[in-house]
Amino acid sequence: MTTSPVIELDAVGMTYRSRKETNTVLDGCTLSVGRGEFVSIVGHSGGGKTTLLRIISGLIHPTEGSVWVNGQHLDQSLSDMSMVFQKPVLLPWRNNLQNVLLPMEFRGRVTDTMRAYAMELLEMTGLKDTARRHPYELSGGMQQRVAICRALVSHPDIMLMDEPFGALDAMTRDSMNLELQRIWSETGRSILFVTHSIPEAVFLSDRVVVIGGKPGRVVADIAVDLPRPRTKAHRYTPEFYEYEQQISELIGAKESIA
Amino acid sequence: MTDLHIPSPAKPHGGPALRDNARARTSRGAHRGPLAISIAGIAGLLALWELIVHTFDIPGYLLAGPWEALAEIAAAPGFYWQHSLMTLEASALGFGAGGVLGVICGAVIFYVPAIRHVLYPSLIAVNTIPKVAIAPLFIVWFGFGLESKSFVALSIAFFPLVISTFDGLASVPSELRELARINRASKWNQMRKIELIHCLPSIFTGMKISISMAVGGAVVGEFIAGNSGLGFVILVANSQVNLTSMFAAFICLAVMSLALFMVVDHLGRILLPWNVATSK
Repeated sequence: MTTSPVIELDAVGMTYRSRKETNTVLDGCTLSVGRGEFVSIVGHSGGGKTTLLRIISGLIHPTEGSVWVNGQHLDQSLSDMSMVFQKPVLLPWRNNLQNVLLPMEFRGRVTDTMRAYAMELLEMTGLKDTARRHPYELSGGMQQRVAICRALVSHPDIMLMDEPFGALDAMTRDSMNLELQRIWSETGRSILFVTHSIPEAVFLSDRVVVIGGKPGRVVADIAVDLPRPRTKAHRYTPEFYEYEQQISELIGAKESIA
Repeated sequence: MTDLHIPSPAKPHGGPALRDNARARTSRGAHRGPLAISIAGIAGLLALWELIVHTFDIPGYLLAGPWEALAEIAAAPGFYWQHSLMTLEASALGFGAGGVLGVICGAVIFYVPAIRHVLYPSLIAVNTIPKVAIAPLFIVWFGFGLESKSFVALSIAFFPLVISTFDGLASVPSELRELARINRASKWNQMRKIELIHCLPSIFTGMKISISMAVGGAVVGEFIAGNSGLGFVILVANSQVNLTSMFAAFICLAVMSLALFMVVDHLGRILLPWNVATSK
């Protein structure tokens, strides 16, 4: 699966300099994400996970090292990426279908094919009947599903997710995990997923990258060798528990298992 | 323009289906209650005013009762209507022009950092000068008449919209800007599809503040430059110690301000239904 990496980070570092102090957030981060792979990044809050994601998205530039996307330097890369944030950040004046189509509007004219694909995505996430409704008429979990559809509509090579289920209650979160696994297997996207929750990372991922220390470094890169599709029942197997424990110890005893 | 919207502290909460019901209720029935209460409240205050005038036997050169003032309007409806229209015209012109300028200014200040650094401090400094103090200057420039009055109204109505537009643009969630950047949106598309629409509720809040201030500005203009309008009526009534006429003009002003405010408020509800729904 790692034959042709879509993302490669080579010794990426990030240092914020102000007049008073220099603050190194990330240092020497090297990792890769294979095509169609689901990789999670876990670590302490404030440990640089989100910074790493923002570097890969091109929103900020690393002060050291380089990022390669599909074999091209990030600055020159024309590869499509999309992002799902912790909050759905949908536009309240647009209905859900229009929200999903927003990235396509940014790129140019919206064709019937695009509209059909957006509807398909909404159907896949069980939101077909709410296409003409507005985000405020939906629950938080449903809104986040619209945001995921929006992130898929442009057929991105890479989907970046920054704690997308962090604001949801535990039960909704569990069902969203199942759903994301299904969406991922149906669309075949490469996903880089930042989370606080170790069980969530183990449940969803092919690999879990642990960021630790100050400045943040890649402490471990653990392949999760559990059969797919994974179900709720997998969470209570000894193998699953072992992964959780291993990662938890790597992050440090201070952070309790979420 | 059916009611004065008074936000109710009780938030109906629940799933989508529940919320639909709640919405249907508020849009039809539930608002009638508060409207009745509002009218009863105003009537009560007027009655209290009338009562005070009578019980304490306050002489007519100190305070006129509302009944007397309303009778004065009823006796000369054409006179008060004409002068109200004059004030309304100056207020509307000042509010319209000041509002458009204010929104443009706020947007330019937000989008062009160079202009922000140069213009914003001086704008704030200029705004601290009381408009009443600048009003005579407008007479020098534009003479007696509608232009001067409108300019006083404009100068007052302008600033709230600069601030509210700027703040509205500044409060666009950073995630939305990042979303636009990740999708390689053009600056124009980012403005058109996200930022400018996102700041509309804030602009409407500014308009609600501005509209009443514009009426005040027009009246000040009439004090100084007027030979017509409610400000002029007040001035004349003052010189004649005719408090009944003065209070009649106050009532006209209050009704006009309230009506204008409600027009803006209602317009905001019609044009931005999503804002009503999300801020509930």
